[in-house]
Amino acid sequence: MSSAQTIAGAGRATRELEMYFGPQHVGMVGNFGIVLTVEGDTVLGARANPGYLHRGFEKLMEYRTYIQNFPLVCRLNVMDPDPNEALYAMAVEDLAGLEVPERAQYIRTIVLELSRVSSHLLWMWAYGNMLGADTLGQWAMGDREYVLDLFEMLTGGRVYHTYIWPGGVRRDVPPGFAEKAYQALDHLESMLPEYDSLFFNNRLFADRTRGVAELRRDEAVALGVTGTNLRATGACVDTRKDDPYAAYADLDFEVPTRQEGDSYARALVIRMEVEQSLSIIRQALSRLPGGSAWTKTPNPFKWEVPAGETYVKVESARGEAGMYMVSDGSDKPYRVHLRGPSYPTGILVLERLLEGASLADVGHIMLSLNIAAPEIDR
Amino acid sequence: MDRAQITKILKSPGKWGQKYSLWVVYFCTGCGIIEIPPVITSRWDAERFGVIPTATPRQGNLFLITGYVSLKTLGAIIRTYDQMLDPKYVVGFGSCPVNGGMYWDSYNTIKSLDKYIPVDGWISGCMPRPEAIFIAVTHLWTLIDKGLADGYKRYQDNYEFYRENQRRVLPHLPKFAGEYEAEAVTA
Amino acid sequence: MRDSAGAAVAEEDQKRRIVAALRECRVTIPKQGRLVAEVPRDSLLTLLLLLKADGFEHLSMISCVDWIDAGELELVYHLWSYEKKVHVMAKTRIGREAPRFLSIIPIFRHAQTYEREIHEMFGVEFEGNPRQVPFLLDHWQGPPPMRKDFDLRRHATETFGVEEKAL
Repeated sequence: MSSAQTIAGAGRATRELEMYFGPQHVGMVGNFGIVLTVEGDTVLGARANPGYLHRGFEKLMEYRTYIQNFPLVCRLNVMDPDPNEALYAMAVEDLAGLEVPERAQYIRTIVLELSRVSSHLLWMWAYGNMLGADTLGQWAMGDREYVLDLFEMLTGGRVYHTYIWPGGVRRDVPPGFAEKAYQALDHLESMLPEYDSLFFNNRLFADRTRGVAELRRDEAVALGVTGTNLRATGACVDTRKDDPYAAYADLDFEVPTRQEGDSYARALVIRMEVEQSLSIIRQALSRLPGGSAWTKTPNPFKWEVPAGETYVKVESARGEAGMYMVSDGSDKPYRVHLRGPSYPTGILVLERLLEGASLADVGHIMLSLNIAAPEIDR
Repeated sequence: MDRAQITKILKSPGKWGQKYSLWVVYFCTGCGIIEIPPVITSRWDAERFGVIPTATPRQGNLFLITGYVSLKTLGAIIRTYDQMLDPKYVVGFGSCPVNGGMYWDSYNTIKSLDKYIPVDGWISGCMPRPEAIFIAVTHLWTLIDKGLADGYKRYQDNYEFYRENQRRVLPHLPKFAGEYEAEAVTA
Repeated sequence: MRDSAGAAVAEEDQKRRIVAALRECRVTIPKQGRLVAEVPRDSLLTLLLLLKADGFEHLSMISCVDWIDAGELELVYHLWSYEKKVHVMAKTRIGREAPRFLSIIPIFRHAQTYEREIHEMFGVEFEGNPRQVPFLLDHWQGPPPMRKDFDLRRHATETFGVEEKAL
């Protein structure tokens, strides 16, 4: 929905237009808005317009018992739901003093990396569409179905899994999962060179995105940027290495970075991460330890988690996802504060990078930052 | 195509045209949107049902409310719905438009979509599967055939009722849809 | 971060540095990689400046907890050091009635958005924050909704006619 208004001053119209990019816009992924002040083809200023997806998530969590919160947490970010389940599980485990068996940690790693691949493939669809490379999107969404089929086999659901539970995972890996997973990994790994020759090595993509929306490393840190956006500025920062969780400390993987900090770099970091994720999943599958997939928890209907506070964080597809949980010893959390990695990116960074940008670049700058509106609004 | 089909088409070509080209307005209202890209791409392929996404509500006749509706989104939905041309159909996708779903006690989401805009069909699920969308489309075809997909007519006939409900949760809405504040219509 | 002997070197070292500079600060190490530092409200900015100078340059977020029974709001500043790989929760408490605090935008630029949200959800006034305008709520008429005295279920029932269900 874009409504153009001429701003009349003293009876004479200026050349500035205020335009609404989103929420109803074919280039908007998720329900988000940006109010742009435009002169001709140049964006003079931008104001993020969030709040379309605000549900009062944190307030809802205070009114639900710990087991009632379990199906709620994955719905924080629909594009990358499993890190939020992991956050919830890790926070409760911290407060309740639960040990997670090694097998569950490996299964969690597989699920988290599959979620990352699924999110990055969805990103490819959106980003390709924004730059007019529709074929990339069709391929990426088709290949993403391999990942969703794995999720369905493992957890029963394509999108929302309710799988990573405090103490482990909800059910063990079913027979036949590893074979199906290796098939999917083989296919996805064989498609990556195709994506490169179609899009990522394509001259048109480079010409459109090189030098656009450059973010320097010091500015990225000052604005709270994490994840692929920070790694595209040259900082090798990844929660999986810096504050390891699940089975990441045992697995061998690289953290891809680039130096330019522009739209091109951000897109390439995401592409390189897909490769690393597939390798991590392969390793975790081949080294899956035996044992139980969960630890016995107290009766969930009467579970009172000991009082305390904790901050847990994971590396979601977009960056540092965090959960600050405060418990008062009752059967419901006292306060849960969720950090979405898109929160700093979608407001101040977006507004800063859109200043002076060309109107044609607004969509792909927003998408190169991989902003997920539900993480901002909660 | 058999004789029965041809007769059907000749009797009401308008209905045939509407049914088999339901163009969905591209508006990601809530988390249900995640199943729309799979639906409109090659694996699930909505285009064989005649369903394609359209960028502007002016060219769309199917409004899929995918997921929960916050109060701010409701304002945008009402405006988008008003911009669509008749005949237009609304389908609530997911359990959140039906009864509030997961967010049944939220202070910022509506609990029942058909109080605010007329709904022709519901798809339950959290998250509904792509197949559910296609089943809903075929059900909508049946409703269109029988003349029961008349939400847009109900909206016009009962406009005061809908507007009252809308203004109860969005008190800043003007009494009539045309009177949006600070709306300068230029040539 | 642990040394070869397994001791939490960076955490202990940081605790010593904080306590040496701010005697009124209570520092605990709940587990590896985590530090909790509580100060009275007048010392918080000093604590943040000290931490930032010590390499805690990443502000993860600012949380607010409503301790209604104690009549206080607790502000928690989450900082992370890339080198030391330690997360610090710098906390202070302010009164619940007409709560005011200083904005930390001069220290961490992007604190603006977190303070804006706390202003909206808890009603805290941050002096020096130029953008304390509505953020996630649109045309909101009620009290700050994250406060504990905002009854969620009653509000939803009255506004939307939802049936209140017993837990």
